[in-house]
Amino acid sequence: MSLDTIKPSPGFLEHLPIEYQDLVNHGQYGKKMKASDMGKFKELIEEHPMCAGCAMTLFIRLVFIGLPNPEHSVIVGTAGCGRLAISQGNVPFIYGNYGDTNSTASGLKRGLELRFPNQKKDVIAMCGDGGLVDIGFQGLMHSWFRNEKFATIMLDNEVYGNTGGQESGMTLKGKVLKMAPRGKVDEKMDVMGLAKVAGVDYIARIAPTNPGRVLRTVRRAILVAREIGSSYIQAYTSCNIEYSIPTPDVMKDAFDIEKERYGFEEIVSDRAKKFLDEVEKKKK
Amino acid sequence: MSNAVAKPKDWVPKGDLQKEISAEKMLLELPRELLFITGSEAAREAIKRANIDCAISYPITPQSETMQQAGYLYDEGYIKEYYRAEEEIGVMSATAGASRAGVRALTATSGPGLMRGMEAISSWPGARVTPVLLDMCRVINTPLAIQPDNIEISFLLNTGMIMLHAENQQDFFDYTLAACEVTEHVDVTLPAMVSVDGFFVTHARGPVSIPSDEYKLNRRDGWRSAVPAMDNENPPARISRDAPIQKSNFISYHMHASWQQEVFAALERSGKYFEKLLKGRIEIINPEAEDFIICSGSAVSQAREAVRQEGENGRVVGLVKVKTLRPFPTTSIVNALKNAKRILIPEFNQAGWMHKEVCSVLYGKCKANIVDGPRVFGGMTMPTEMVIEWLAKARKDFP
Amino acid sequence: MAVKRYNVRMAGIGGQGVVTASHIISNGVVISGGYSSLVPFFGSEKRNAPVESYVRISNEEIYEIGEIIFPNVLMIFHPSVITLGKSYTMPFYTGLKQGGIILINSKTPLKFSRDEQRELDEKEAKLWYLPATEIANEVAKTDLATNMAMCGAISAIFGLPDLESLAASVKDRFVGKGIVTSGGTAALDSAIEKKFAKKQKLLEANHNTLKATYQYALDQGWANEGAGSKKESAAV
Ligand SMILES: Cc1ncc(C[n+]2csc(CCOP(=O)(O)OP(=O)(O)O)c2C)c(N)n1
Ligand code: SF4
Repeated sequence: MSLDTIKPSPGFLEHLPIEYQDLVNHGQYGKKMKASDMGKFKELIEEHPMCAGCAMTLFIRLVFIGLPNPEHSVIVGTAGCGRLAISQGNVPFIYGNYGDTNSTASGLKRGLELRFPNQKKDVIAMCGDGGLVDIGFQGLMHSWFRNEKFATIMLDNEVYGNTGGQESGMTLKGKVLKMAPRGKVDEKMDVMGLAKVAGVDYIARIAPTNPGRVLRTVRRAILVAREIGSSYIQAYTSCNIEYSIPTPDVMKDAFDIEKERYGFEEIVSDRAKKFLDEVEKKKK
Repeated sequence: MSNAVAKPKDWVPKGDLQKEISAEKMLLELPRELLFITGSEAAREAIKRANIDCAISYPITPQSETMQQAGYLYDEGYIKEYYRAEEEIGVMSATAGASRAGVRALTATSGPGLMRGMEAISSWPGARVTPVLLDMCRVINTPLAIQPDNIEISFLLNTGMIMLHAENQQDFFDYTLAACEVTEHVDVTLPAMVSVDGFFVTHARGPVSIPSDEYKLNRRDGWRSAVPAMDNENPPARISRDAPIQKSNFISYHMHASWQQEVFAALERSGKYFEKLLKGRIEIINPEAEDFIICSGSAVSQAREAVRQEGENGRVVGLVKVKTLRPFPTTSIVNALKNAKRILIPEFNQAGWMHKEVCSVLYGKCKANIVDGPRVFGGMTMPTEMVIEWLAKARKDFP
Repeated sequence: MAVKRYNVRMAGIGGQGVVTASHIISNGVVISGGYSSLVPFFGSEKRNAPVESYVRISNEEIYEIGEIIFPNVLMIFHPSVITLGKSYTMPFYTGLKQGGIILINSKTPLKFSRDEQRELDEKEAKLWYLPATEIANEVAKTDLATNMAMCGAISAIFGLPDLESLAASVKDRFVGKGIVTSGGTAALDSAIEKKFAKKQKLLEANHNTLKATYQYALDQGWANEGAGSKKESAAV
């Protein structure tokens, strides 16, 4: 698709909803937005039914702005809080069964490559920690070992938010949550390490403290997936409800956790590094 | 085992040399050659002519030989994309993923694999994806066994997917090709499952007549579909299958209900295509008989032999073979059986799902005594002798 | 024409080529213009484990599927199917039709328990002993040709498939790519092939074995019996 596809025939635009008109006249298609542009253009996602002040929403919004080519992107999601917002975005969204994101994305990406040999389509699997590494574990790992060419983004709120606050594999040891009445017994899963072992070409850990950095990371992950191989972003997106973070303190929490144990980190394979260097050199 | 060799630069996929034709031409018009092959080989021959874009595999007995063959077809260039996925939920999700991309996707499994993939499979009709799933039935209950038993079919009867039950190797070939085309008609846009009883058909050899492999079905046109492919080639519009419809209000209830209604209406609409391609959705032998056998799959073969042996002894027994389990050919069945006096329903499973189906269709429309069996399960076959004994008993019990 | 039905159950031991034999007989019938279908036993294929395979032969189209529960012919490829109970069907003659044939690969008659003997007598079973392994060793110089030896005798007994079609079927099996073999059977094939180095030699040895047991069966006077021309009992 391109801007031309969403442009209605002459004379029809004024009869479409104002949101649609804005998307055509002030949208993101064909442009590259900066974090400082926020509020000055029609974002791909605006309204959503997630909890007020939820950090995950902010992060998802940034992911949409960071899409390098939204007119040729498809997002694959699954059950979990995030899909409430993602499904409202103006990018096709596949809502499959819980935990099926990376299997679905594997088939989808291969199918799209067959149908559009001359137009790269970006596929992004984006979902919660439970969906990705508990129920979705083997789909996730195998997509990485197969080096499937799509990006995976974990919305890591360290809990099953959508079902009301049960522990997940990404919960820290000792945290008392539902289904962990005496505190979680095991350590938080080292998914960055797993990604490395599986040979993922671009791996990043990030907290949503620096919008510019989020956009850059999302872009790098998607470009690597487009041209080189699997990529993975693990994003801290706190759940203010289940972790009882007062809404005004959500960003403070993000800064604290980032400093304590969620600092920005990139693990980039040699071939991905070479590719990204070339891309960034070309831009200058 | 051997080591992989890269294709030479001038390699031409064999599929590129095939001519594209419609299923009608393929199944009803082309001359055919008679082969003596197994059900797995019949499946291979169908896949070779089905113009499959993407095949995704996972081993399970007795299915493995089929998707292995699909692998060789990929290697020869009859299939464009192929891989062994992580397990069946992965397989069924990925197959749907490929179908959502707008390409023709196919996979195959058996009993336990079907059960494992069930959550994904049952979401296919509502997603309006069109993959074809070949299902080689196998025991699913404990104790674990690899023998044929078709109880698994009953788990899918109410999903909204197209379901065909092949009697033998020939049917497996024909039904697979028919399914590949019918699923993609715009007024259908649904997935299909083609079942056979494992081993009895997959590993046994029988006569199969097939058209030349110079031909393949027309390719899937990803643009022609009841719902757009997930290719981001359409203006943004919310499609209810992918919006989380779970707010408790009447708009969302209504959305979900009408979406389902449309799925089941589409299923009924597929009937007319199968009526044509399979030359009827039921087959009738001895329509004037008072004693009738109605069944599907392998049970039909045993019933056929029973009908023949009864005939040799001067007794006329009728047979109704059901080809499409979904959409169920209700009207044809009622018409075929409305004057029957005794009806036998042989099945290869314990639950008797076909018995329940037939009873609910005939209720109030037929005065026949419907016998609850015969049935075999757990893997054994049904000897013809058993069907004949049950017929004799029915005549005695219901004079 | 009356429908003739020969329902054959074959029992042997993994590695003997029982399933291969059933493919060869069945395919041979089809080549000769008759009707046949076959069902191998659905187990995991392991060396030395019991194996069964089932072949239906007819002069008319065959409808039935599945294993044969009431056979009129049993082919026992190894005495231990009977003596050690290496069989999925116990006792081995279960389901045999009245007056049915049991062809056993053994040089000498086997001893049965009193109960077994009584039941075999009641069934009026015809017990025929064929020294298949010995003939294979003598003619093909390998006991791997035992299954061929069994096929040759069956050809004489039924008259279907005729020896020529049977030979054509063997050729199909080892030269053509007609039959899909599973992992175990494919491995067995290469073991046999190594033994013979050249396929042509393999075919020759197989053909000679077929001929030898075909003649042996004729000499024993089994042919007419099996064809059912004298006794109706062999056909269902
Ligand atoms: C097969 C299946 N099992 C369980 C569920 C229930 N379920 C829905 S969302 C969810 C938890 C979501 O947690 P996570 O993936 O971490 O995302 P979050 O809501 O925290 O963003 C669960 C268990 C389901 N929908 N399907
Ligand atoms: S439950 Fe937690 S993660 Fe989910 S929307 Fe609310 S605050 Fe966000």
